Amino acid sequence: MANLKAASLPKDFSCDLKWEKFDVDIRTKVSYPTLKMSEWQMLLKVLRDSEKTLKRKPVRDLVQIIGRVAERFLDPGDPIRSEALKWLPPISGISLEMAEVVLERMAKNWTNECLIKLLERELKAPEVLDGFQELDSGRKVRAIGPALSFHIGAGTVPGVSVSSMIRALLVKSTILLKPSKGDIALPVLFAKALAEEDLDLTTGIAVLYWPGGDNPAEEVILNNAEVVLAYGSNESVLDLKNRTPVTANFVPYYHRVSLGMIGRDALNSEEAVYVAKNTAVAVSMFDQRGCVSPHVLYVERGGDVNPKAWAGILAEEMARVEIEIPSGTLTINEAGSLQQVCGAAAIQESSGSDVKIYIGDQQCWAVIYQGDPGFTVSCQNRVVYVKPVSDLTEVPGLLHDFQSHLQTVAITGAGNRREDIATELGLVGVTRVTSFEHAPWPPLWWHHDGKSVLEGLIRWVDLENE
Amino acid sequence: MIEEFKSLSIDLRLAFQGGTLEPWNDQYFDEWALRVFEYQFESNPTYSSYCQKKGVTPSTLGGWSEIPPVPTSAFKVAPLISGDPSLVQRVFRTSGTTHGLQNRGEHHILDLELYRSSLLPNLRAHIYGDELNLRLLNLVPSPNEVPDSSLSFMLGEALSHLSDGDGGFFVRTDQGLDVDALGEAVTQATLEEKPIVLAGTAFAFVHWLDALAGSDCKFNLPPGSRILETGGFKGKSRTLSRPVLYEGLSKVFGVSIQWITNEYGMTELLSQFYEPMLTTSVKSLKERRHIGPPWMRTRVLDPNTLDPMPAGEHGILCHYDLANAGSVMAILTEDLGSLDSEGGLLIAGRLQGAESRGCSLAMDELFSELG
Repeated sequence: MANLKAASLPKDFSCDLKWEKFDVDIRTKVSYPTLKMSEWQMLLKVLRDSEKTLKRKPVRDLVQIIGRVAERFLDPGDPIRSEALKWLPPISGISLEMAEVVLERMAKNWTNECLIKLLERELKAPEVLDGFQELDSGRKVRAIGPALSFHIGAGTVPGVSVSSMIRALLVKSTILLKPSKGDIALPVLFAKALAEEDLDLTTGIAVLYWPGGDNPAEEVILNNAEVVLAYGSNESVLDLKNRTPVTANFVPYYHRVSLGMIGRDALNSEEAVYVAKNTAVAVSMFDQRGCVSPHVLYVERGGDVNPKAWAGILAEEMARVEIEIPSGTLTINEAGSLQQVCGAAAIQESSGSDVKIYIGDQQCWAVIYQGDPGFTVSCQNRVVYVKPVSDLTEVPGLLHDFQSHLQTVAITGAGNRREDIATELGLVGVTRVTSFEHAPWPPLWWHHDGKSVLEGLIRWVDLENE
Repeated sequence: MIEEFKSLSIDLRLAFQGGTLEPWNDQYFDEWALRVFEYQFESNPTYSSYCQKKGVTPSTLGGWSEIPPVPTSAFKVAPLISGDPSLVQRVFRTSGTTHGLQNRGEHHILDLELYRSSLLPNLRAHIYGDELNLRLLNLVPSPNEVPDSSLSFMLGEALSHLSDGDGGFFVRTDQGLDVDALGEAVTQATLEEKPIVLAGTAFAFVHWLDALAGSDCKFNLPPGSRILETGGFKGKSRTLSRPVLYEGLSKVFGVSIQWITNEYGMTELLSQFYEPMLTTSVKSLKERRHIGPPWMRTRVLDPNTLDPMPAGEHGILCHYDLANAGSVMAILTEDLGSLDSEGGLLIAGRLQGAESRGCSLAMDELFSELG
């Protein structure tokens, strides 16, 4: 039975730790250390002590180090990539093919070029992290990252926690990251690779899993962190928020929902298939568990291909994606929900309602066409709704109730209406408008849920002119 | 068509008169199930079209286990009536939101008499036993107040037919649980030394216990009194584990845990399961099993394929209830459980919605927010 040790701890933190374990499946188990309170205190001290070294490192050196680690995850000959691909499928419940695609695309986002782009967009000059810079008149400014940032990961989308870690490292923060049960492997491997790459990073980063909830150490950590980044459901993020001291900066990333819009310009018979291909990939990626994954596709009437017929084309493409990038295993809850959702849609269809359902073998995907344009949330795992609208401009009006949870809208075929529609979408809460091709892969420099991703991590120091 | 349902219903009611404790052999159940399926296939166009898409017709059917089940969520999206919709006598509605389908499920009932003929012998066998005319105090609203509640209907029927009208309803939809009136009724029964049945949802019992918690109030119910708990918290009270709830009830009412039992039922089914406390030597809570009447059977299915799970293993419960002749008999539930070698049902819980495994919003999360 393969055993993943779910921890990457600072070199200077040497304790004889007790380990617990849980089974992921019949072939895989995860073991994690259980620290005594005194050991937690010691770990926090080691992290604190390493801050100075980290703060002295030039930001461009950190970019180089992270970039080199990213390259290792892209190199087919590197054992760390094989290691990642070994653990991702069982831990995240995704297929090997999916793991390969996700790792490739995520790691490409962590390379030098992307890191520099992020820093330049967010801070104008990355060197503000090294010392005072004159960016505007009347003052010099410097950006300082937190002494310690505490990251609480969630979900099974590989890469989310690593991105969080990278952002913090760029601003020279020491890091304590608690990965979620479904995304343990990548942050642990990434932290290990960072330590191998640069000795100074062997003391400033701790990644370790523990079951959430009633661990008294969480209070100690929350009281020691300057920044708390919480990923997860509304409930778990709120719980963390309530436990975080007012003096710490709390950065919430709660669950989001995304959708797609296909305008009549993209619905001539040729393009309709091309759009369906891209849409099927966007829906299927991460088995639709990503915040960027579309749940509903609004299709405009008046094109050569009508919305109902397009749903059929999409179904064919969903089947094709399933062959190329198969879906992963479902939990009993997910599979049971899928039965309910698909069975109810099939009954609706049989009752003569304006509904048509296409289901893949063993329910590995489903396309549900519904004449009712009301927005809804899918049960995930490649179940997508196709709904007709007479005009794409109607869509923002359908989203009002969902305002606080909206994120990405993938849009195509809107012609010169694109920007006006984006304006209206922004007003109802959407924070990213993109293409179906790019929807699953936001750039590192995106405004994640409408927020600058480094701003929550740094504080500015102004040195005003004499 | 009308005549056909009438005669089917009459025949079923006759068959149910054999009682709930006498098992039906496979062949007998199969014959009945096939007759009901054939009727439903002919008289329910929605269900018939659904079955045909699955390639199942009465002529292809090898046995009852091949009857296509509809998921409970289907009751939320279309009326499932096997017969003349103009003859629907009552519509029962489910209580709330699950799986993101906001609207309530609707079970259209063509013949309340058929429901009655299933629920009464079952209640008699598992709750009343030989002791007729137990006083029945219900912690649910009366069926007059909530005619669309199948649970209120059931307890109303018990009150009329098994308790001879002795008892009442102690929940009002606008005011909640009437703790004072209940206290008086219980005290009265104690003074009269008349054993009673307390029946209600788990959350109503929790509310009652919470209300009594400050007062140090304890009752000592007359011997032979029993408690029927119908499950369900649904966010309406704090959730207690079953042992804790039963412990609390036992302490406050002086009823031994052996005399506290659970009914498992749902709006979409007109027959219910009980943990037998009268007919078997009652075991510990953990060892208890639910049993249904012989006109209902259960399969435990793999949620991915809907193939049967290996014997004894957990899966999704799918019930085949002949009392559902007027709607659809085969119901795929959101409940998890397993069957023991004697056919006893072990209910392991309910699907937790599709809890989100990623960073995408889960249906239940959103709809709990929208209320």
